[in-house]
Amino acid sequence: MEEGHHAMSNRLNRRSLIKGAAGTAVGAAALGVSKRSKAFAAPTVIQETGSQVKVVFWSAFGGKNGEVEQELIRRFNESQQDVVVEYQFQGTYEETAQKVIAALQARQAPDLAVLSEANWFRFYANNYLAAMDELIAAEELDTADYVESFLTEGQRQDQQWWMSFARSTPLFYYNKQMWAEAGLPDRGPETYTEFAEWGPKLVKKNGNDVSQWGFLHAPATDYISWYHQGTVWAFDGAYSDEEFNVRLAEPNSVKSGEWLRSTVDAGWATASQDRTTDFINGISASMMQSTGQLANLKANAPFEFGAAFLPSEVNPGCPTGGAGMGILSTSPAEKQQAAFKYIAFATSPEITTFWSQNTGYMPVRKSASESPEMQTFYETNPNFRTAVEQLATTKPQDPARRFVPAGDSIIGKGLEELTVNRAEVQPTFEKIKGTLEEEAKPILEQVEAIEG
Amino acid sequence: MDSLSMQDRRRLTRSVGYLAMALIVLVIGLPVWWMFSGSLKTSQEIYTFPPDWIPRNPRWSNFTDAWQSAPFGRFYFNSIVTTVLGSALEITNATLSAYALAYLRFPFKNVIFALLLAAMMIPSQVTVLPNYVFFGATVFDLIGESWVNTYQAIILPGASVAFGTFLMRQSFLGLPREVLDAAKVDGAGHLRTLWDIVLPMARPVLVTFGLISVVAKWNDYLWPLVITQTENMRTLTVGISSFYDLEGNTQWGLVMAATIFVIFPLLVVFVFAQRFIIEGLTAGATKG
Amino acid sequence: MVSTTGEGAVPSYGGRTGEQSSSRRTRTEARREGILFVLFMLPNAVLFGLFTYWPMIENVRLSTQRWDMISPIRLGIGLENYRYLLRDGTFHRVLLNTGYFTVAAVGFSLLLGLVVALLLNQPLRFRDGARAVVFAPTLLSGAAIGIVWSYIFDPRYGLLAQVLGWVGIGSPDWLNRPEWSMPAIIIVYVWKNLGFAAVIFLAGLQAIPRDLYDAAKVDGANPWWRFRSVTLPMLSPITFFLLVTSILNTFQAFDIIRVMTQGGPADATNTLIYYVYEQGFVALNAGRSAAASLVLFVLMMIVTLVQLRFTEDRVHYG
Repeated sequence: MEEGHHAMSNRLNRRSLIKGAAGTAVGAAALGVSKRSKAFAAPTVIQETGSQVKVVFWSAFGGKNGEVEQELIRRFNESQQDVVVEYQFQGTYEETAQKVIAALQARQAPDLAVLSEANWFRFYANNYLAAMDELIAAEELDTADYVESFLTEGQRQDQQWWMSFARSTPLFYYNKQMWAEAGLPDRGPETYTEFAEWGPKLVKKNGNDVSQWGFLHAPATDYISWYHQGTVWAFDGAYSDEEFNVRLAEPNSVKSGEWLRSTVDAGWATASQDRTTDFINGISASMMQSTGQLANLKANAPFEFGAAFLPSEVNPGCPTGGAGMGILSTSPAEKQQAAFKYIAFATSPEITTFWSQNTGYMPVRKSASESPEMQTFYETNPNFRTAVEQLATTKPQDPARRFVPAGDSIIGKGLEELTVNRAEVQPTFEKIKGTLEEEAKPILEQVEAIEG
Repeated sequence: MDSLSMQDRRRLTRSVGYLAMALIVLVIGLPVWWMFSGSLKTSQEIYTFPPDWIPRNPRWSNFTDAWQSAPFGRFYFNSIVTTVLGSALEITNATLSAYALAYLRFPFKNVIFALLLAAMMIPSQVTVLPNYVFFGATVFDLIGESWVNTYQAIILPGASVAFGTFLMRQSFLGLPREVLDAAKVDGAGHLRTLWDIVLPMARPVLVTFGLISVVAKWNDYLWPLVITQTENMRTLTVGISSFYDLEGNTQWGLVMAATIFVIFPLLVVFVFAQRFIIEGLTAGATKG
Repeated sequence: MVSTTGEGAVPSYGGRTGEQSSSRRTRTEARREGILFVLFMLPNAVLFGLFTYWPMIENVRLSTQRWDMISPIRLGIGLENYRYLLRDGTFHRVLLNTGYFTVAAVGFSLLLGLVVALLLNQPLRFRDGARAVVFAPTLLSGAAIGIVWSYIFDPRYGLLAQVLGWVGIGSPDWLNRPEWSMPAIIIVYVWKNLGFAAVIFLAGLQAIPRDLYDAAKVDGANPWWRFRSVTLPMLSPITFFLLVTSILNTFQAFDIIRVMTQGGPADATNTLIYYVYEQGFVALNAGRSAAASLVLFVLMMIVTLVQLRFTEDRVHYG
């Protein structure tokens, strides 16, 4: 009985998920229409009362990127009199999402939050995100100027729920000095096969101890499943299809896992808890890291490094990632409007340029990346350009990672079994598949409940 | 063996004893030394091998840099407020409960005592989520505002005390009954007895437990991590871990300096009060 | 638990005066004492009820539900969360890890603690100072100490790499290798906690009456035999106390793991308490977290009871 119910709702929900995906195109069109069709009076109300609206904003950028973001907020608060954004750093994307969830339980949720591409959906599925179309219209946002894929990723049911802000892709970073020492050309490997040939040349040993690795794998806690999303696509596999069928145990996907394991078996790569620090300190010749670490690396690496596309294999493969902002539906309308003013500000062409140059995150506005200022910047910082160029080959991640609760952690821990424990690939991937399928059920039911 | 005189043998074992003692002190102390020396190193010095045991050019600015990169002054204030108030409540509770359990008659007193002790087996980590919801939703429903991110929320769950009650009860029971009986004959009430006789006599345990309580509050991690939302409410332990967690390049010099911010006050307390802590604790354990 | 020696042996002050009084006075006095008892116990009891026992009951309820901590609906699913734990490979590993960690951490803390105590029990100068140094780490914040040790364990620039280098051993990549990460955590734990065991053992040693040793000497017992026949039996109540408190402590060791490894790599340091946290606050499975927390609670109960049972006949009440 219960089984049957699950099976049926499963099918229904798969369909509704597809509907959601298909709906994005319609949504974009609808946005264009709705843009000027609705008058929106509320912002004037704020001006009339003359009181400032306080927006509590929870964010996930620490270190250098956090400083840049605080600068954005300072500029915003100084630029106008109506809204004051109060900034609170909450930790990683995951920690921020956890804090928001806990705060919702405690009726203490912020008005605005940075939510990663893998986290916002959960809030949407529980009705905790405010729809943005009316706010977009009120602010007369030029949606056509937003990079389309970034915009549509935050749409469901013809509505905008989440606005891209700090979008990234993985990049392949390499230490040019070590590359030269190993006699390799000054570029990233074109294919994973080529990388496997290069890898051993990059290893240095002190007796039995490796003093320099060819490559370091991310840990599960630092999103190995995001980086491997690119690899699995490159091998013509996938985590899942758009209809939520998990495809991880299929032969091509397994090949990507075999490749991952082979790097460890062959002794030129290993897993590291903190590969960025290791890379900076010359312990590894290369790593995959987010574009959002470009500025940090530039500031801290005492050597010249290159940023390249992820390798290809059968296909090119590279996911988009990073975060956007969502407005919590628990906030009063007045605060929602005020929060959106900040979103509009933070994604304005001028601020986008500033944010992108100082962090490495990709510009979400076309006019920003095409601006003379940005073009000059790319001339002097070719690594920053790589990310933007790579964008053409990227796509949003498979639903299994983005929409399944803890999907990132489930896949990540499975991959860690390969990089850390050198487990057999097929059974490991079968196991991940089973878990993903089980964990997907609740969210599918929720989506059905909310989208019908 | 026989060729060694009794005195020689004694001297030998004694030297071996000193050697072993020095070794132990070294093993235990080295990590702390490493922390101090690391806090004075430049990034470059940190990443050299073999490492310098004594930083060549002590970089004191690590401390000021660390201090400025997070609001450590505020963290200190929060840690002090929550520790002082939390410990005061805990000590009061422990004293009152211990007195009641030791000297006052009540039906099923042993059951109550057992229930209290059983609470020691409930790890506080397990109660975090329901308590969080309590301070948010439940308190909100009751009084119209949430207590999440407030001092009272940080403090209250730690204000109940089982271990301290147990420790003090044992100590109260060990006090000479003649004195208590005499007080009773003199017509002293329970409050008087507690204040004038029991507490002064039990002072060592009181001090010990007070110190243990202060240490525990100061070091508490998970609960303040969860219940605080804004930087200006974070305590030192939470502050240091988010300082360390920041993505990117770990700057050990600054991080070590920051850990010293957390550890230093307790080391000072310990230097002055170690006798109380150690002897009080051992008395509690050996008599228990 | 630890109360076995207290309750029976020492009659309460209240009880004794009761015997001496006339029955009427006893009754009014008993009433007043009862009221006072309630007043004295009330704050503690209310706080315990609210923040310890009620959450525990709430956990029992949660453990029969599926709830992602965000959805307004908590779905009743009976024992499904427990069935999940039974078949979840991660949970099985977590149980093994917990056993490994507990046995090793408690074992080494007690063993080394005893060795240190025996040494500091010798008439050596500066031994009080040494005792203070050994005890000090017990007081330090686990979060801060975990960070310091992460630096010490750095396989290239860390203190330990240097020390191992002296004896010609290369440093393992402690926190990145599954086979070394648990030993690393255990080392930190033992470093931090052996001082507590040492200090308690030392107090126990000093409480052993000299004449017992003298008697053994007269019987011609050699030092080892004296240790076995006098020291160990006399230390048994203390060992029991330490065993219980240490096990309860290791079951709750959280901040070190959270700061140093986050349960990784590949779940190698994922213990029960971390799993409870991870399922609750990372994977957001409140129900599974609650179920696991009850498993932890039951384990702690069982350990305590088994120990009580096991040691009842053997412990020498000194």
